[in-house]
Amino acid sequence: MIWMFFGLMGLLSAILMAFLPLRAARADTAPAADGVGVFVDQLDEVERDLERGLISEDEARSATAEIKRRLLAASRRDTGHRAPSGGRSAIFVAALLVPLAAAGYYTLMGAPGVASAAFAERGAERAQAEQIADLSERLRERLESAPDGGPSEGWMLLGQTYLRMGRFDGAARAFATVAERDGEATSATFSLLAEALIAAESGIVTPRAERALERALTLDPSNPAASFYRAIALEQAGKLAEAHETLVARLEAAEGPAPWMQSFIAQANRIGEALDREPLTMADFAPMLVTQPRGPSAADVAAAQEMSEEDRSAFIRSMVDRLAARLEQQPEDLDGWLRLGNAYRVLGETDAARDAYLRAKPLLNNVPEADPRRGAVQDALAALDDRE
Amino acid sequence: MIPELGHFALALALGLALVQSVLPLAGASRGNLLWMRSARASSLGQLLFVAVAFAALMRSFVVSDFTVRNVVENSHSLKPMLFKIAGTWGSHEGSLVLWVLILVAFGAAVSLFGANIPERLKARTLAVQAWISTGFLSFLLLTSNPFERVFPPPPDGNDLNPLLQDVGLAMHPPLLYVGYVGFSIVFSFAVAALLEGRVDAAWARWVRPWTLAAWMSLTAGIALGSWWAYYELGWGGWWFWDPVENVSFMPWLLGTALLHSAIVTEKRDAFKSWTILLAILTFSLSLLGTFIVRSGMLTSVHAFAVDPERGLYILMLLALSIGGSLALYAWRAPMMEAGGLFRPISRESGLLVNNLILAAATGTVLFGTLYPLFYEALTGGDKLSVGPPFFNSSFVPMMLPLVFVMGLGPFLSWKRADLGGVLQRLRFVAALSGLAALAVWYVAERGPVLAYLAIFLAVWLLLATLREWGLRIRLAEVPLGESLRRARKLPRAAHGMTLAHAGLAVAIFGFAGSSAWKSEEIVFVTPGSDVSIAGFDVTFEGAKRLNGPNYIADRGTLTVRRDGAFVKTLYPERRSYPVAQSTTTESAIRSTLAGDLYASLAEPASDEASASGAWTLRILYEPLVNFIWLGAVMLFAGGGLSLSDRRLRVGAPKRPSATPAAVAAE
Repeated sequence: MIWMFFGLMGLLSAILMAFLPLRAARADTAPAADGVGVFVDQLDEVERDLERGLISEDEARSATAEIKRRLLAASRRDTGHRAPSGGRSAIFVAALLVPLAAAGYYTLMGAPGVASAAFAERGAERAQAEQIADLSERLRERLESAPDGGPSEGWMLLGQTYLRMGRFDGAARAFATVAERDGEATSATFSLLAEALIAAESGIVTPRAERALERALTLDPSNPAASFYRAIALEQAGKLAEAHETLVARLEAAEGPAPWMQSFIAQANRIGEALDREPLTMADFAPMLVTQPRGPSAADVAAAQEMSEEDRSAFIRSMVDRLAARLEQQPEDLDGWLRLGNAYRVLGETDAARDAYLRAKPLLNNVPEADPRRGAVQDALAALDDRE
Repeated sequence: MIPELGHFALALALGLALVQSVLPLAGASRGNLLWMRSARASSLGQLLFVAVAFAALMRSFVVSDFTVRNVVENSHSLKPMLFKIAGTWGSHEGSLVLWVLILVAFGAAVSLFGANIPERLKARTLAVQAWISTGFLSFLLLTSNPFERVFPPPPDGNDLNPLLQDVGLAMHPPLLYVGYVGFSIVFSFAVAALLEGRVDAAWARWVRPWTLAAWMSLTAGIALGSWWAYYELGWGGWWFWDPVENVSFMPWLLGTALLHSAIVTEKRDAFKSWTILLAILTFSLSLLGTFIVRSGMLTSVHAFAVDPERGLYILMLLALSIGGSLALYAWRAPMMEAGGLFRPISRESGLLVNNLILAAATGTVLFGTLYPLFYEALTGGDKLSVGPPFFNSSFVPMMLPLVFVMGLGPFLSWKRADLGGVLQRLRFVAALSGLAALAVWYVAERGPVLAYLAIFLAVWLLLATLREWGLRIRLAEVPLGESLRRARKLPRAAHGMTLAHAGLAVAIFGFAGSSAWKSEEIVFVTPGSDVSIAGFDVTFEGAKRLNGPNYIADRGTLTVRRDGAFVKTLYPERRSYPVAQSTTTESAIRSTLAGDLYASLAEPASDEASASGAWTLRILYEPLVNFIWLGAVMLFAGGGLSLSDRRLRVGAPKRPSATPAAVAAE
């Protein structure tokens, strides 16, 4: 559709360019031969001025003499330029070249696939955003009014929703609530807290964010999101070499190609430029063997958000499979089973989900009575049975 | 889809501009009529496609299409419609699209209405015009694409800047641009004449109206900008010698010189080389203005595009166009035939003096504007500012002799004039002007010598201009009816000159009055405080908090009395806009022809003080300030009258023996 319009516009320019000059040349309206017409008009003007009494007879005479002098001088010059009007081919070439050049430029620089969206037409989108805002508001109220301070999962969900909505202060508050709960805060809690704090300060790593990163890395030294922000903190502190090292070290520890690696490499190269380091490529790290399969990290998820729908579901699939494979080797990982169960639920694979929760159930015997995970497994199994 | 159509249209326009840069020129040198006439098609095509692009951009602003980055950054769905539309040219990219639109509109106008321009001159002019549009279109597409897309679109736009939501400012850039860009066509004519190697009668015939049109809109643009600063910024000044103001003022000064020089070329076939040089320099200064503002070299109220890559591109364009055209001038100008001869005392000489002074004044402003930039570049970062004291002590004295000659000039006849006779006729005018200055001195008691001199010259110019007009219609010499009949028959251009010259005199009253005799009081006030200024007693009644549509205002109430009698209540406001997180000052002004009483509420005196209702109040009295805008309107109207005069003019020289009573025809 849009290319049809482009075609029409290009055609219009070609027609204009090719036929207007040809017509104009055929019509051959006599061109004013070097302004002789102007002199004639000027003589008439002097005449009129004299009649209206604006100038004296004397002035009119000298003005007329002057104009005639100029006319003579002009007519003495060579004025012949009525050469044959050949050169049609040049006109046609030009007429073709214009739309072709424009099309060439446009294919490089244009964005024909991006639809326009007038503000008034985006009511549905705004309604949805409002709904999410409304839901998150209700979630916040419920969490805040809960006597035990609300479940950590709820706060994490609220924080992530706020993060997506760009309400970084709210997100930081939600993550901080979980971070203060010993035993429930995971490495991801702290790295998300750090992310929210950094985003709230438009990219500046504050001391508070730095403390959160430190906690995240203590809990899980391989948390890519935490490593990434740690590198940013180091860079902002002027420690470029250390920042670069941090990124490269994390890349080297990676188990096979992962989507977050691209952004690490880009960041490392950006910093490396100032340090005169060789630019890195994916190939430097991709052949690394998978040494220890793990679950998806925050950076994985963030990377997943930038993929196309197809890539994303393939990516999620592969993550879930990786997680399942790892849990077969480390069956005592309670959090892992819960994550896997949740993932299968999201993917709509009820049987696999139930299996995962059932594998988690015996592990609950080792956790304290008040652990929210007991309830989570119970609820999940009940919900899965309901659906049958 | 519509933004993409706009993007593609710009690309097509660039293609047409490229063809038009080459083909008509080749046609002109080979005598190929077909190639020369292709300029008509390509210039119309350029106008069509740039207009499509501009319309596409404007549509994106009107419907708040936030898939266009430019709209996201410069608009907001809650903006009033007028400012959404004005947002189209509010940004760097949008203003360049407007720039190019005006540029190609001038090109298309030349090819549509230039039927009696010799074929070869027209082809060359349009080719030069296409060089400029090629430069700017490629600049747009390569560095500042106005149709850059964002997907997914953000929920709403980012810009609700209240300071820029002002009708005066919305209209300011378009007018300024018509002025700037209008000089481009004169530039193209000049370069074409240089390529041609001669200046003929048609050339001169065509340059004057284009210059006049550009000059008029530049006048309006500058006056509007100054008016906006006066009313909106709350500083109470109308001209700050800010670099952004200077870069629009320099083309105006030189454009004024060009205007007068073009008259001489048209009427007397002289000053050809001058006119061409002025045309080149005037447009060069317009380009320099665009460059200085767009490169973000300055940090001032107006600077809003900060991008070194763009700056470099414009610098290249600048070097190419100015350097190229001046080199061409140096090479070809000596080949120009000298035109009409004139004596040292003649209207030509008067205009020559005018040109020299205006050019020198432009040089002074240029020096003052660029010196800090060079200084910063050479010393590696040391900042230095050249402020009003420099301009007031260098530029202003230069203008004084100019105004004096302006009074004399119209009395001089072409080719040779009788200075003694002219002075004789003006002796009463001189005496009256002296008396007026003395009277002002007696009344005002204080003030710099320069101000009295300015008053003397303003009266001199006004009376001399009116006297000249009176002589033309033989006022008081013949019965009134006869005079009126003569006035009706007088060419409109003559009325135009009278109006414009008188307008400058009126504006000088305003310049002098508001700068020399301005009074200013900055005081802490609490409810009930009294301030006395310029014969007014102003009582601060207190400030109240009010809610506007998208702002919160603190509105002060001031009661103004003179000699105990109530005059007016003023409500200065200080508005804060929470969304945009900015504050504006809405001054309250009691405006009369005699002067403005101008009140603005600055910050609360301090936090504790604001609780008790204490504020910093700024009160100014600016005598005669409205004469400035009145003068500007007269200048503009004078230009309009002269532009509407479609006659072909020849200056009729007088015989040496002519009687001194006769006046040269306009």
